[in-house]
Amino acid sequence: MLFIDYAWLIPIIPLAAFLIIGFFGHKTPEGGGYIAIIAAAVSFVLSALVGYEILSGTVAAPYVNDIVWLEMSPGVVLNFGLYIDNLSVLMLIFSSLISTLIFIYSIGYMHDQGERKRRYYTEVSLFLTAMLGLVISSNFLEMFIFWEIVGLCSYLLIGFWGFKHPKGEKASIAAASAAKKAFLVTRMGDVSLLAGLFVLLNAFGSLDFVSLFDPANIAAVDNSTLALGSLLIFGGVIGKSAQFPLHDWLPDAMEGPTTVSALIHAATMVKAGVYLTARSLPLFVQSTDVTLFVAVIGGFTAFYAATMALNNMNIKRVLAYSTLSQLGYMVLALGAAGYMMAASLAAGDVEVDHAMGYTAGTFHMMNHAFFKALLFLGAGSVIHAVGTEDMRQMGGLRKRMSITSITMLIATLAIAGIPLFSGFWSKDLILESVLHVAEGGHGAASAVFLILFVLALVTAFMTAFYMFRLWYMTFGGEEGEASKHCHGESPRSMTYPLVILSGFAALSGFLILFGFADALTFNFVDGAFVVGGHGLSMIEVLEDIFLNPFAYVSIALAVLGFYIAYRMYEVRDIEPGRYNQYGESSLYKLLQKRYYFPEFYNALALKLAYPAAMAVEQVDRKAVDGTVDGIANSITGGSQMLRRIQTGFVQTYAAFVVGGVLLVIVLIYLIGYLTGGL
Amino acid sequence: MIPIEMFLGLSAILFAVGAFGVLTKKNGLVVLMCIEMMLNAANINLVAFSAFFNDVVGQIFVIMTITVAAAEVAVGIAILLNLYKTSGTTDLEDINLLRW
Repeated sequence: MLFIDYAWLIPIIPLAAFLIIGFFGHKTPEGGGYIAIIAAAVSFVLSALVGYEILSGTVAAPYVNDIVWLEMSPGVVLNFGLYIDNLSVLMLIFSSLISTLIFIYSIGYMHDQGERKRRYYTEVSLFLTAMLGLVISSNFLEMFIFWEIVGLCSYLLIGFWGFKHPKGEKASIAAASAAKKAFLVTRMGDVSLLAGLFVLLNAFGSLDFVSLFDPANIAAVDNSTLALGSLLIFGGVIGKSAQFPLHDWLPDAMEGPTTVSALIHAATMVKAGVYLTARSLPLFVQSTDVTLFVAVIGGFTAFYAATMALNNMNIKRVLAYSTLSQLGYMVLALGAAGYMMAASLAAGDVEVDHAMGYTAGTFHMMNHAFFKALLFLGAGSVIHAVGTEDMRQMGGLRKRMSITSITMLIATLAIAGIPLFSGFWSKDLILESVLHVAEGGHGAASAVFLILFVLALVTAFMTAFYMFRLWYMTFGGEEGEASKHCHGESPRSMTYPLVILSGFAALSGFLILFGFADALTFNFVDGAFVVGGHGLSMIEVLEDIFLNPFAYVSIALAVLGFYIAYRMYEVRDIEPGRYNQYGESSLYKLLQKRYYFPEFYNALALKLAYPAAMAVEQVDRKAVDGTVDGIANSITGGSQMLRRIQTGFVQTYAAFVVGGVLLVIVLIYLIGYLTGGL
Repeated sequence: MIPIEMFLGLSAILFAVGAFGVLTKKNGLVVLMCIEMMLNAANINLVAFSAFFNDVVGQIFVIMTITVAAAEVAVGIAILLNLYKTSGTTDLEDINLLRW
C-alpha cells in the first residue's frame, strides 16, 4: 500500500472538518476548534507520508492521477485530479503544519469570541482545504477553483470582525472595508488569471499541467500567444501575492484577527501566488521578456514595500509590509531562475541544470512561512496581552512576556538574515541567484538584474533595521503606557506553537544543506522540464554562500541595520525624529501615506470605475431590462385580451363546441370535394 | 315500409332542435331536457339502422344508452338542485363562477 493513493484525502479531511464544524460546531467545545486542529494535523501527517514517498523516490514524481471531468468537442478534455511533485509536497507540508500550529494557537487567542468561534473555525478549515487542494491540482482550471475559494475565505476572515468588532463600530467598518478591498483588488488579478487560462486553453486545447509543460506541445504554440498567456497568469500572481501595483490590500488586511493574518501570510493565500509562479515556470521561460518582467516586479516590490515598513507604528502593519517585501524576494528569485533558463533555452541549450533562483525562491517561501507565522503569532500574543497594536505604547515587555519575546527575537534574527538562522540561507541564495544573472552577460537585462541586486541588498539592510526596530519598540526600552497593564504571558496553547515555530524558524535553514538544494530544483533535461534532482551538494551550497564576497556584504548590512535600530530604540542615544523633521518631512509622510496608493485606488475607483459602472448600469436598466420587460409586458398584455374568451357561461362553451364540430364537418366535405372523393 | 330517410330526417330535426335549445335557453332545467332530446335523436338513429341492417345490436345499445341517460339526468338534476340551493337560481346566465 502506498500513502500516495490516499493523497486525495489531504484536502478532503479539512473539508469534512469544515462541514462538521459548520453544522455542529456550536455543540462541541471551543466552537469546533479541536475538530479543526485534528483535521489539520491529520492532513499534515498524511502530507508528510506522501512527501516521504515522493522525495524518497518510492513514487515517481510527478504523480498524476486524473479523472475526466468535462469533455468538450472537439477533443478538449478538462480533468480533475492530482499532480504531486516536490513543489506540491513542500507546499503541502508547510501549509498543513503551520495551519495546525495556528489553529492550536487560536484556541487561546479566540477563546473569548463566544458563538463566533464556530464561524472562525469553519472558515479557517475551508481556507486550509482550498490551499491544500490548490497545490495538488492537476490542471489550471481545478487550481483556479481552489484559488477562488482561497480568495473567498480571505474575504470572510479579514472581515471576521466586520459585524461586531471588540473595539467598536469604527473598527468593524474598517474590517468590512478591508475585506472588501482585499476581495476586489485580488479579483483584478483573478480576472487576469482567468483570461490567461482562456488563452492557454485556446492554444493548447488542454489545461493539464502534464500537457502544458511538455516542451513538444509548447513548441507547437505561437511564442507571442504563450507570452501573453504567461503575463496574464502572472497578473493573477500579482493580485494574490500582493505584488506591485496590486499590493495595497495586504496592509489593510491586518484588520482581521491576528491568527488570520498569520494564516494568510505564512501558510495560505499569498503563498499561492508564489506557488503559481514556480508551477508555471515552464511556460514563463519560453520568453526572456516575461521572466525579466517577473523579476522586475518582484525586486521592485521587495524594495518598495520595505521602505513603508521603516516608519510604521502599527506592529501588524510593519509585519504586513515585511511580508510584501519578502514575497517580492521570492518572485524576484523565481524571475531570476526563469530568466537564466529562458536565456539558455533561447541560446539553444538542450540541457539546463539547476536554475538556482528556483531553489532559493521556494526555500525562502518555506523559511518565510515559519518565521512569518511566528512573528504574527508573537505579535498576536503581544496584542492579546496589552490590548493595542500601537508600538509606541508598548516597550519593555521583555520581562513580562519572556517566551514571546525570545521566540520573536529568533524570528527577527531569521528574517533579518543573521547567519545560521533560516532567513540567512535563503536570502543569500536569492541574492546570489540574482547576481548570477547580472554577471551572466545578458546585455541590457544584466544591467537590470544588477539594479535589482542592489535593490535587494538595500532591502536586506532595511529588513534588518525595521525588524529590530519592531522588536526593540515592543520588548526593549522603557515600559510604555499599555505595557503597564499588561497581564503577563499568554496561555500555554499560545506559547507552545510559538516555541515549536521558533525551532523551525531557527533551524529550517539547514535543510538546504541536507537535501533541499537537490529536491527543489528546476531543470530542463532530456527534452522535459523536471523539478528535483541535478541540484547542489552540501559542499557546493556552502561554497556558494561563504565564498561569495557579497554574502559578507549582506551580513554586514544586516548587522548594520540591527545596530542602528539598537542605538535608536534600545539605547536611544540617536533620536530617530532628527532625520525626518519629527514626522514632518515629505518623505516620512509619503511613506506613512503608503505612497498615496490608497488615495490612488480610491481616485481610480471614483473617477474611472464608478462612472463606468454607472454607464453599465444604465445599459443594463435601459437596454437589457427594457428588452426583457418589453417581452414580458407584451405577453401579459396579449393574455389580458385572450382571457376575455373565458366568459364563464356554459352555453358559450357549448356554442364553441358545436361551431367547432360544424367546422370540422365542413372541412372534411371541402377536402373530400377538392380531392375528388365523396 | 317507411324508408330509412324518414327516420334519419326526424332524428336530424330532433337533434337540431335540442342543440338549439341547449345553446339558447336560459333555464338550466330546460337545457337538461334539450340534452335528453339530442340523446334520443341519436337513439332513433341507432334503432333505425338496427332495423335497416337486421342487426339487433343497435337496439341493445339503445337500451344501454337510455340506462346511462337516466343516471346522467339524475346527476344533472342533483347538480341543478344544489345550485338552486346555494345561488337561488337555475338561470345559466347568472352562473359564471369560471369567468376570467
